[in-house]
Amino acid sequence: MSDRQLADWRQHALTLETEVNKVVVGQHNPIRLITTAIFARGHVLLEGDVGVGKTTLLRAFTRSIGGGYQRIEGTIDLMPNDLVYHTYLGEDGKPHVSAGPLLMSGENLSVFFFNEINRARPQVHSLLLRVMAERTLSAFNKEHVFPHMIVFADRNQVEKEETFEIPSAARDRFMMEIPILVPSDDAIMSGLMFDTRFHDVDALVDTIKKDVLQFDKLNAFSGVIQKSIEASETLKKYALNLWKSTRNPTEYGVKVTNVDMNRLVLAGASPRGMSMMLRAARVNAWLNERTAITPEDIHAVFHETVAHRLVFSPVYEMRRTEIAREMLSNILNAVAAP
Amino acid sequence: MNKLLNQILFAFILSLITNAALALDVQLLPDVKDGVVIAQIQDPERAVGYMVGDILTRHIIVTIKKPYKLIDESLPIVGYEKRYRGQVLGIDLSDIQHTSKDDGDKVIHELTLSYQVFTNKEVVKHGALPTEYLHLINLKSHGKEVVKYRIPSFEFAISPISLFGQVKVEEDMSTFRGPLLLDNSLEKKRLKTLLIVLVLSLLGLLYMLGKHAWLPRMGGPFARSYREIRKLPNTPQGIQQAVSSMHASLNTTAGNSLFSGNLEQFLVQNPAFNVIKTEMGQFFGLSRQVFFEPNSKHEVGNNPIQWLAQFCRRCRDCERGLVPDTLNTDAKA
Repeated sequence: MSDRQLADWRQHALTLETEVNKVVVGQHNPIRLITTAIFARGHVLLEGDVGVGKTTLLRAFTRSIGGGYQRIEGTIDLMPNDLVYHTYLGEDGKPHVSAGPLLMSGENLSVFFFNEINRARPQVHSLLLRVMAERTLSAFNKEHVFPHMIVFADRNQVEKEETFEIPSAARDRFMMEIPILVPSDDAIMSGLMFDTRFHDVDALVDTIKKDVLQFDKLNAFSGVIQKSIEASETLKKYALNLWKSTRNPTEYGVKVTNVDMNRLVLAGASPRGMSMMLRAARVNAWLNERTAITPEDIHAVFHETVAHRLVFSPVYEMRRTEIAREMLSNILNAVAAP
Repeated sequence: MNKLLNQILFAFILSLITNAALALDVQLLPDVKDGVVIAQIQDPERAVGYMVGDILTRHIIVTIKKPYKLIDESLPIVGYEKRYRGQVLGIDLSDIQHTSKDDGDKVIHELTLSYQVFTNKEVVKHGALPTEYLHLINLKSHGKEVVKYRIPSFEFAISPISLFGQVKVEEDMSTFRGPLLLDNSLEKKRLKTLLIVLVLSLLGLLYMLGKHAWLPRMGGPFARSYREIRKLPNTPQGIQQAVSSMHASLNTTAGNSLFSGNLEQFLVQNPAFNVIKTEMGQFFGLSRQVFFEPNSKHEVGNNPIQWLAQFCRRCRDCERGLVPDTLNTDAKA
């Protein structure tokens, strides 16, 4: 029963990828990673320049997943209560309170999209931190639960003015940070410019098949995946070494160009981070029709699940993207399995 | 009694007559003319230091021109007791070798005369290899003329077996005896042993400096793995060990951890391994089955250890820049 269930859901997942790939071109790897995060039930932080298709990508996924979709824009004057409710004067001239984006869809909220999260204040980050971790919110003397919710957020690291760096504790709540880059293929770039179907995003997203997945069954099925995909002793040892190397890279001979490795890392990957990495690796193994995790499954998600969790010395924070990428690549090169 | 005395007297007189006759015979014969006989005599190298029992050898080449011919009966007789002035010399001919070769107008005779010393004294004594006379006959003369050719004696000193009286070694500076030698056999044995140890140590050092190889390129990672894998049994533990060893060699060669994900990059950096690209993929499939996913299938057949040994040998050949042997497909059977 389980094997058949796994195969059926795999087919749905591949259909989901195919549908999204139709409207967001040249982003196969980010799409595979977001699919992985959906089945691993992890929140996703997208990072990329302006106008590369982050929002379109998330809207496309939301349409295929089904369930409630809410979105909020990060601004400097955004306050935590803006996520929970908003007040207005009604036609009757009396003040009214209505549910904010978090509460609007109730328990059916499946995707909460926080656009430009780094423009929001730390108070907002703090609220989001709890919602992401516990999938609950206390408001109006009531505990609201969002069991199916996945938070997608994006940030633009180029612009620094009027932005607030997401604290490491909040970053750690995201399962993945996925970079979205401009496709390098000339044909795709040309298509993005001249193909008129990309001009109307709403119409483009509407072409995607709706409700490919059943959002309210993803949690249960995610548990099936995690139980079905095994991890051998060799793999566990390998993952452990990877974790230790993020904490003490010098012990594994890991170096980064022009960086004092003894001062670089203030904190390596967290236990939660490594747990999320293994969850994502299990999903990747399942998507590739494997019954157990292999090192390649870990490699497929290693950068995206670990890089944003590393805490570097402030002197290196400005270069964290390139340093984290080089350091993690060198870790994969240094740690052997078996 | 009288009869016995008569017999002794008769024998004595007869012996005197015989000796006198022989002496007369030799003395009466004329010497051969000059130029008829050419003799080359090779005497013993030294003329001193001989003791009782020693054998001295003379090598004589006598060339006799025709029509003169050597009378073989005139050659010295083995065991004949030589005398000098009536005294027994104590030096007897113990062996004689004679060969002759006709060389046209001459005949070459080679004589090897071995004399043994049978006399001794408590002090140094004079000795001599006796003069020998060869008789020649002129075959063309009317009266069959007989002449003699004299081989001169060789003088030497006979040493006593033991020293008589006290001898001061400092004053006994004979150059023939040489210095007294101490027994150094133990030191020689030690020296030989130490030399063997030194040579072995140097060989060991050479082996270590050569990174565990006797020849260049012998000590590569795959060469070491191949030696290890050949000894491993075809058991799950043996296969695990072999795959681990192969992974270690691949990582060393690549300079980083090699997985199926970065295999293409490895092949670009190490093009010598391109010829075994298919087997590389099969190896990672086997590794996956052995270490990570027991339910998966591999493509290396029923004898993975044999396949691994052959694969490792091919990797070793690639490592050495050689064209690898064809993979024996029997390993898959």
